[in-house]
Amino acid sequence: MEYKVEAHRIMSISLGKIYNSRVQRGGIKLHKNLLVSLVLRSARQVYLSDYYSGACLNAQSEREGNEWDITDSEREKFPPSATECDRVESTEEPQPNEQPEKEREYRENDDEVKSDQVDCTSTLQEQNQNSSLDSVAKVSSETPPESITEPKESPSDSAVAERDSTPEANGESHQPPKPHVCSNRKRSAEESESGDSPQKRTKVASSNAKEDEEAEEMDTSNVSNLITIFGSSFSGLLSKESAKPEAEAEDSGQICCDQMLKNLNPWSTAIVAF
Amino acid sequence: MMAGVGGGNDFQWCFSQVKGAIDEDVAEADIISTVEFNCSGELLATGDKGGRVVIFQREQESKNRLLSRGEYNVYSTFQSHEPEFDYLKSLEIEEKINKIRWLPQQNAAHFLLSANDKTIKLWKISERDKRAEGYNLKDEDGRLRDQFRITTLRVPVLMPMDLMVEASPRRIFANAHTYHINSISVNSDYETYLSADDLRINLWHLEITDRSFNIVDIKPANMEELTEVITAAECHPHQCNVFVYSSSKGTIRLCDMRAAALCDRHSKFFEEPEDPSSRSFFSEIISSISDVKFSHSGRYMMTRDYLSVKVWDLNMENRPVETYQVHEYLRSKLCSLYENDCIFDKFECCWNGSDSAIMTGSYNNFFRMFDRNTRRDITLEASRENSKPRAMLKPRKVCTGGKRKKDEISVDSLDFNKKILHTAWHPKENVIAVAATNNLYIFQDKIN
Repeated sequence: MEYKVEAHRIMSISLGKIYNSRVQRGGIKLHKNLLVSLVLRSARQVYLSDYYSGACLNAQSEREGNEWDITDSEREKFPPSATECDRVESTEEPQPNEQPEKEREYRENDDEVKSDQVDCTSTLQEQNQNSSLDSVAKVSSETPPESITEPKESPSDSAVAERDSTPEANGESHQPPKPHVCSNRKRSAEESESGDSPQKRTKVASSNAKEDEEAEEMDTSNVSNLITIFGSSFSGLLSKESAKPEAEAEDSGQICCDQMLKNLNPWSTAIVAF
Repeated sequence: MMAGVGGGNDFQWCFSQVKGAIDEDVAEADIISTVEFNCSGELLATGDKGGRVVIFQREQESKNRLLSRGEYNVYSTFQSHEPEFDYLKSLEIEEKINKIRWLPQQNAAHFLLSANDKTIKLWKISERDKRAEGYNLKDEDGRLRDQFRITTLRVPVLMPMDLMVEASPRRIFANAHTYHINSISVNSDYETYLSADDLRINLWHLEITDRSFNIVDIKPANMEELTEVITAAECHPHQCNVFVYSSSKGTIRLCDMRAAALCDRHSKFFEEPEDPSSRSFFSEIISSISDVKFSHSGRYMMTRDYLSVKVWDLNMENRPVETYQVHEYLRSKLCSLYENDCIFDKFECCWNGSDSAIMTGSYNNFFRMFDRNTRRDITLEASRENSKPRAMLKPRKVCTGGKRKKDEISVDSLDFNKKILHTAWHPKENVIAVAATNNLYIFQDKIN
């Protein structure tokens, strides 16, 4: 658990540094930003692998466990649909600063939102591959496919093709946007970003490098867009963390954490070695 | 005076001088950003964040005070670089002097190269101590004389005047670097020099300013694939075809300019395998090399990363021959150092004249010296409290845990704002210059 907290903290610090580098005198320093992006990436990997490894271990240890209850109940509450995502976004409370700008950005195109779901799931798959956790894949595949409407698939696919820069599994768009939805549910007060976190999450990898490219161009307006992107991705990850313990059944959330803690030992050495 | 045999501990380092304001409130422009002795050690140049260069000259040794060698006094001060604005990219270019390198002296004048992030300038520093007097057409004030008053012709005579030191920019090497220049190095042929930025290294001829040869280019076709940058570069002290450059991944590449016009393929690749047990979030940052320096002999080179100094034998690529821990106690504090940006500090390192000792800086105004022969090391502090003339410096010790002895300082009490990034060792004698923020300390070895 503490690794996740630590990774989370390091990620927020790194993002702050990247943001501040925009306003530094003398322009963006490529070397420093490269190092910061490497740290950010490492922390993100630890943070996400920690999250998913925890989910996997819970599933392994308790097939009828509360983890499943959460997913089932959440699935009921938030049937994965594009319109639902839109609604979630629109019911979001207005938050200061960049919020209006981003909402405009996000509502501009419905397709963008749809692709969010796909990207989210694809990222989920990427994480699955990375951590080789079969059970998580099982979780995904057990989602009733009928909950995803057919027509959505084609725009999603095309959106995937154009958006994903990281190698994805073959656009299985029937994956549930459950994590995406979870992240939309809970929004802590300090987060001022809206919820297209998964999409932006996949973009982080490219955005990091993209920022280096921006560094070459030294184009501060593009960098400011990237910073908002970083910000939103970060908020998505943060929401993801808070989604779990703040799940519908508080007890089950607690038990999940405990389970994760119990099973953390074999993984902790891996993380320490990292 | 011959350089002492042996290293740090055989010497008794004494305070000699300190230059700079005493004021606690440090102006950013006064922060020293580079220190360099010239080839004879007679001159000591500093550059600061305000774009100024100050040159100190050693006074002739006086017969009366045999115990102290000549002191360094201000010789010349000039504004080398000004802040600029790149209108195309909407970027301000800092005037901070990143590096100064002296050219070998070939006549009465002295030449040095100074570089900021984008531009390198060749400065000529010359003395004027005579003035012509007795002009025919103008009088002493400079006013033109009434021509009808001129009845005789006279030859002007050179009269002595107060010494005036003039600095004039002789060459400006600009527009060759997209990224920030981190190094310049004069070649042993005394005709060319190289300049390195984050992704490219250029070779210049000292006489030609409108073009340079690009000899290393590590910019990937797709910037998203960028994984490392160039952090330092230096020409070999004797072989004018050889240079090295270090990277942010902790590797050093040695290149031979005879092999190809573009030296993207290295001749030698120096890398030490990483110790997997010490892996952390910050492993990559602390392995980034901040400085690389050839030994005077040309047989070794030294690299500085965040926590250590390594000496490499040019004939052995797979690991350094010597590793010295500068401040290993910081390894457990890397997260805090990342937060306060100290982990990005770029420490330099330097050899003594005989290559028997090396020196580098640390925090709390501490600096460290390592004797390569005896393997002993010493930690000293540059502070105004130890600044009585010829006062001997007391070795300092950082307490890493457990009971703190008297005179030790605990890791948590270290002042991370007081960092010594730039040090220089006189090429022939045991005189060192240490830059502590806006102050320049000069220490000498007490004559045994």
